Amino acid sequence: MNRTILLVDDDIIQLRLFEKLLTSNGYSCRIALSVDEAELILKEETPDLIISDYEMPVRNGFEFRRHLLTEETYKNIPFLFLTSVNDHDFVQQGLDLKAIDYITKNTPPTHVLSKIDNLLQAVREHYERSLGEIKGIAEKLNLRNIPKKAPVLKNFSISYFNQSFQNQPGGDFIDFIKVNDRYTFIVLGDVMGKKWGAWFFSFSFLSYIRSAIRLCVFDENYSLSQIMNKLNRVIYADELLGEIFSTLSIVLVDDELGTIKYAGAGDLPLLKFEKDSEGLKPFKSDGILLGFAEHGNYNEIDIAMGEEEEIYLISDGMIDFEVDGKKRSDLKLFEEKLFNLKKNKVTADEIKNNLFNKHVSQVDDCSIIILKKI
Amino acid sequence: MDITKQNINDVLLITIEDKDANLSKSEHFKEQVLNEITLGARKLIVSFERVEYIDSSFLGAMVAILKNLLPQDGKLVLIELNSDINNLFELTRLDKIFDLKDSLETALKEF
Repeated sequence: MNRTILLVDDDIIQLRLFEKLLTSNGYSCRIALSVDEAELILKEETPDLIISDYEMPVRNGFEFRRHLLTEETYKNIPFLFLTSVNDHDFVQQGLDLKAIDYITKNTPPTHVLSKIDNLLQAVREHYERSLGEIKGIAEKLNLRNIPKKAPVLKNFSISYFNQSFQNQPGGDFIDFIKVNDRYTFIVLGDVMGKKWGAWFFSFSFLSYIRSAIRLCVFDENYSLSQIMNKLNRVIYADELLGEIFSTLSIVLVDDELGTIKYAGAGDLPLLKFEKDSEGLKPFKSDGILLGFAEHGNYNEIDIAMGEEEEIYLISDGMIDFEVDGKKRSDLKLFEEKLFNLKKNKVTADEIKNNLFNKHVSQVDDCSIIILKKI
Repeated sequence: MDITKQNINDVLLITIEDKDANLSKSEHFKEQVLNEITLGARKLIVSFERVEYIDSSFLGAMVAILKNLLPQDGKLVLIELNSDINNLFELTRLDKIFDLKDSLETALKEF
């Protein structure tokens, strides 16, 4: 992925020279002739590095830097000053503003490139080290919102795939609860939000879901509708989750009778592949997002399953696409892709490889669970 | 997040000026609107006229605003959602909890 550098300088010739140097060495550049222009660009996208001239009319580079430091979204973007002034006081003033370094305008291009490469490499290594440490701790604490493997059933096979967004854990969570040889619950949820915040809360939701299922099952209650209603009420009552919401799809597999039931909360439709059909058949649940209202109206749907038929549970990241720089959510497009794959009788692994295609820009974490009647 | 605010009688119209309503903007947007509610706003219209894409973080922020507003006898109407965003609301049953209208004119009749 190209890294983006925001260049800010009132001297257009200097800007173009820098832009040419950087783009011909693999960077993407956004250029701004003033601090005002730079701030407009920052509202649109967050660059990996900002290089700003010091001397500019209206607002100079120091004022720009001071402003960035007051904004939570911008204050941690690495920042370099570019200047023709090589005065010790200026250098000190800039470094006091947490600028990482200076580049003077007469620095040879190769030195400039090395400086930028080294800086971004150091930032990336630092980030990956921190990420690795957190992942290591989560691993040790057995904090896992995606299980290591699916249970083996007699009449069904389960495949599942999850891809995190920008290599960070996200709000999608999956669970399989095999109660006994007959009943298995399949759970897919998506905490609204992204990255660490959503990941953290996914464990609260998972704990409640496991508890609700287990407590109902202890009473021989296998009604998905009742499980969902109880689950929703307890989440609604939890003040810590007052502003956090999650979607949920639950499927109860009866491995003895070979049947399934489904209930959902604010989730995308469950999709089913039937032999000799012209497209995937959607099953829409009635329930609203967990935790929004005390009573969420969760109904369960019986879904008949013939041999070789499959159902798909998906998170919203699966239907988000970025085409020509424009992001959009398109369930129909996803359905068509999946149906065409099934028509060509591809395996679950091939479905995964195709749907998680690297050429389609991913904008969120994505999950899919495939349940097949064998 | 860039928003513009306009008072139409006692209704506050908030227009989202960004085309990409995502994670990096959702928290700030939520704070801005909750602040208006704290200051007394109870009749709100949010315009998505300029929004091309909305992610689940921003949806979550919208739901949190509504959940905050309803117990205070407030009303929130969302207008001018593009077809993708409108579909997303329908697919996830958010159309059951939000009042969605095509235009400002129809939204104003709700109050």
